[in-house]
Amino acid sequence: MKRAPIVIAGTVAGLVAVLEFHTTPVKLTLAGGSSVTPAVTPGASTTTQPAASGSKPARRAKHGSASGQTASRSATGQQANYSYGVLSVKVTVSGSKITKVTIAYLDDSGDPRSQLIDEQAIPILEQEALRAQSANIQGVSGASYTSEGFVQSLQSALHSLDM
Amino acid sequence: MGTVITIDVYPVLAADDTWTADLRGRLDRAGMVLQRADEVFSTWRRDSPVSRLRRGEITPAEVPPEVAVVMRACEVARRLSGGWFDPWAMPGGFDPTGYVKGWAAQRALRALDGLAMHGALVNAAGDIACTGRQPSGEAFRIGIADPDEPRRLAEIAELTACIATSGTYEQGSHLVDPRSGLPAARAASASVIGPDLGLADALATAIAVAGTAGLDLVERLAGYEALVIDWDGRRHSTTRFPFAPVSGGAAARLSQGHCRPATM
Repeated sequence: MKRAPIVIAGTVAGLVAVLEFHTTPVKLTLAGGSSVTPAVTPGASTTTQPAASGSKPARRAKHGSASGQTASRSATGQQANYSYGVLSVKVTVSGSKITKVTIAYLDDSGDPRSQLIDEQAIPILEQEALRAQSANIQGVSGASYTSEGFVQSLQSALHSLDM
Repeated sequence: MGTVITIDVYPVLAADDTWTADLRGRLDRAGMVLQRADEVFSTWRRDSPVSRLRRGEITPAEVPPEVAVVMRACEVARRLSGGWFDPWAMPGGFDPTGYVKGWAAQRALRALDGLAMHGALVNAAGDIACTGRQPSGEAFRIGIADPDEPRRLAEIAELTACIATSGTYEQGSHLVDPRSGLPAARAASASVIGPDLGLADALATAIAVAGTAGLDLVERLAGYEALVIDWDGRRHSTTRFPFAPVSGGAAARLSQGHCRPATM
């Protein structure tokens, strides 16, 4: 299926907005701040955003790309904010089954507490993504953000694989 | 509010330039609604009207109109919650945060009214307002985080309105018992579903403090349902809480363990 993702990114006084637009959901992430100055980047790949605070230098993700019609394909999802920083997820699929989920990019600002949490949480997230293929949910309600950023990035990786 | 708000929109058709421009304008307005709410209600901003009210620099008669609206809504929520939600009993004075986050998210969602779409979700750090449905025609499915392991899901709910979840597991003990003024949480997690996200948020906060005794309050309230997960991981809910049907694979996992996995 032909896709035309549009990414709108603006940074004004700490605001980061990501509008990811496929044939499926449009996603806008607002991280506080004021109005958006859109910069439209049509293209087939996912896009990197600086962290919401704007204070950290954004490291560039290693972008995997959808690799044709072979049995095993992989893609790297768009970077997403999570509770302790920014991450993006790389997913590998075989046919319609997810075979591998890994973190392609992680910036937890080097804070020791964040690193400790990441060490514990991320292997769990990777495992859960493999086990949860049939859960099919559109959001998570919880006392705080938990794994939302992970899910966002994973979903964008799956979108780029037409899944 | 210092939180992340995500807006998901499910377009009816492949979106053209006109639709995208329409959406962009609406998202700008939604962003302004949220920003305005933060400026007016933040207890972290020293110069916000609510902060000035807390310090006694202005009287309730001098607040901006939306603060007056929220104060009245908080009075209603306090009454409906049997006093378990009480913004006037918070340390430091009147603190409507437990109502405002949901209230603002739902106002932001209204900026999308009239857009050609199947449905949309506004997720304010776990408090979710939705309109419409999935493109398949099914209700949105919302995972409820497991308080024992917040990176997993405890349950999945079908949502046609709003859902708020409250608990102490992510931010430590921030819930306060209005009757004692001391931190208290008799439930590990409380979720409330209903048409008004501000009230759902307030009731979730109330039940997280009150525990399963608070379920009766919601049972009596038309259009609202609640789920409590107690400290032993047991579920307690009102009679019509919209649990999503469990698919075969998920059912197998549920029978093995106590939770459904997160993501996807």
